[in-house]
Amino acid sequence: MDWNAILAFARGPLFNAALLIFIGGMLFRLFRVVMLGWGKDYSTSRGSKATGVVQSYLKGLFVLPFWPWVKGTFQRNPIPYIAGGLFHLGLFVVIFLGTAHMLVWKDLLGFGWPTLPMPIVDWLAVAAIAGMLALLVNRLVHPVMKMLSGPSTYINWMLVFLPMITGYIMTHHLFFRYEVAYSLHMLSVDAMLIWIPFSRISHFMFYFFSRTMHGAELGKQALTP
Amino acid sequence: MDEAANKAIDLFVQKTGGQVASLLEACTRCGMCAEACHYYQATHVPEYTPIWKVEMLRRTYEQRFTWGGKLRLAMGLDKEITNESLAEWSNYDFQACSMCNMCSMVCPMGINISSMIGMVRSGITAAGLTPEGLAKKTATQLETGSPNGATEDDYAAWFERSSKEMGRELPIDVPDVDILLVLTNLEYASFPGNLASIAKILDAAGISWTLSMEARDAFNMGAIIGNGKIMRQLADKIYNAAVRLRVKRVLVSACGHGFTTLRDKLPNARGEALPFEVIHIAELMGDVVSDGRVKLQQGFLSDNGHTYTFHDSCKIQRMGGIMDEPRLVLKQMAGDSFHEMLPNREQAICCGGGGGVRAIPEAFDTRMAAFELKVKQVENADADVVVTTCSNCRLQFMEGFKHYGLDKQVSGLAELMAQAIIE
Repeated sequence: MDWNAILAFARGPLFNAALLIFIGGMLFRLFRVVMLGWGKDYSTSRGSKATGVVQSYLKGLFVLPFWPWVKGTFQRNPIPYIAGGLFHLGLFVVIFLGTAHMLVWKDLLGFGWPTLPMPIVDWLAVAAIAGMLALLVNRLVHPVMKMLSGPSTYINWMLVFLPMITGYIMTHHLFFRYEVAYSLHMLSVDAMLIWIPFSRISHFMFYFFSRTMHGAELGKQALTP
Repeated sequence: MDEAANKAIDLFVQKTGGQVASLLEACTRCGMCAEACHYYQATHVPEYTPIWKVEMLRRTYEQRFTWGGKLRLAMGLDKEITNESLAEWSNYDFQACSMCNMCSMVCPMGINISSMIGMVRSGITAAGLTPEGLAKKTATQLETGSPNGATEDDYAAWFERSSKEMGRELPIDVPDVDILLVLTNLEYASFPGNLASIAKILDAAGISWTLSMEARDAFNMGAIIGNGKIMRQLADKIYNAAVRLRVKRVLVSACGHGFTTLRDKLPNARGEALPFEVIHIAELMGDVVSDGRVKLQQGFLSDNGHTYTFHDSCKIQRMGGIMDEPRLVLKQMAGDSFHEMLPNREQAICCGGGGGVRAIPEAFDTRMAAFELKVKQVENADADVVVTTCSNCRLQFMEGFKHYGLDKQVSGLAELMAQAIIE
């Protein structure tokens, strides 16, 4: 097989097509939800919705396990909490602060930014991969998680896991020739990008809806979200 | 397809706007809401997971609004909504949910799950599958004015008795006053002294007020079963009385859902802001004490050998926002013998009896199991008197303490405060 040709296709036309499907699909979903209409709220406010929204995001970011409002949740859900937290942290660092990915962004956006040293990014990538495995095991054995999961949930997991594991293999020159590992990484990234608009991986967009509404609802009553 | 199920689906479709759609789209099935629910914590029944209680709404949304959902349904990967599934979910959404909204406090995405459970309840009710206990109480309230069958004559007799006790004629249907006081049948039946206590607080604060026969019960079975038409019909009685009497404020006594229904749901059901303010007695007590209109004997409860704790009710405190006012009053009276239960305030655990659960006989075991969490909290707080501002929580606490054979008391804040007023 001509892996160089596959790589050229996967990081060229296929990547561009996948990006278009990803952006177009997400925009479509955004508009479809927004166009469903939003009820007007006629009830009176005791506090500030804006304050609530700001607090809601701060609380969403700073979820240290020893803070009083996080403690109970943390103690009762240690696996999703730690594994989910590590996964998201690792994912964001690798995608935005890893040098290789920053260069992709630079290519797409026209500007770059400083990145973190390789060992830090690398260890966070390991943490993210370990987190994903822990989340999968938890999903397969916990009665609540089994009940809540369907085929698409596992497809989501697989299509996020593949780019991460192939990226790691490629970076560390494991098992495959470089162009083979690179091709597999790009093919899995393309598959993930195409799948996202059809899946719940899209929660990164709707996060801003639910978190904002939650903050506004509690802020309206002068409460802390 | 089942005809009854179709009614539920039509209602779900009609109620699905951007808000519901974006909340459903935000869910990642992380399952953390399970451990937020006191019914799940107490029983570990997987189906009591809050987001699972929304499953009927999720199915409708995906199968009716999204291509993926339509495809999955056609391929047999997603289940249809049937009469049987709605009947099954009636057990989860009515018997094992007090609409306390703790799940949305824990959700990493901040999804307001209880608002969607409310919609599922509406669908189940539209399909005619409301639990019998609640359906009966709804019919009784429509017929007599109160879910327990208390009639206008019963209330009149209660007002009469209270007048005699107080040595003062109670104001009934007096126009152009500041406050219209709306009571509940729970107080009529179980805590009749609450009326005289609230009257004493209002009089001491120099507030002009009235009762009204038309607006005698804040309880709203329509809101509990999720029937918008009945909710509006019952709430409008209070609205009409308030407008007719030209009051500035409607004061809801110790009722949680009655308060939030009037304050937050009625304006949106009517599509206009209300021409009066809706306040809760817990709020008013704090306000008149903090601005000095009512003076309390400091330490009135601090040397009687009892220790006090305050229970945050979901509708009044977590959803209503009335957290500091009742604490201010209780702290003035109890001083150091007031102990907080933890977690409290926004993160408080529900008593397990709200949202109509207390009125469903089949839910007894579940709600008592959930109450055990509350027992532990009270014991950890080293308190022997629990103070609430909600009559429904109060009844659940009384029943629960009796069920577990505990020698603990439950008090209403208004009754305690009325005794501490310096004339």
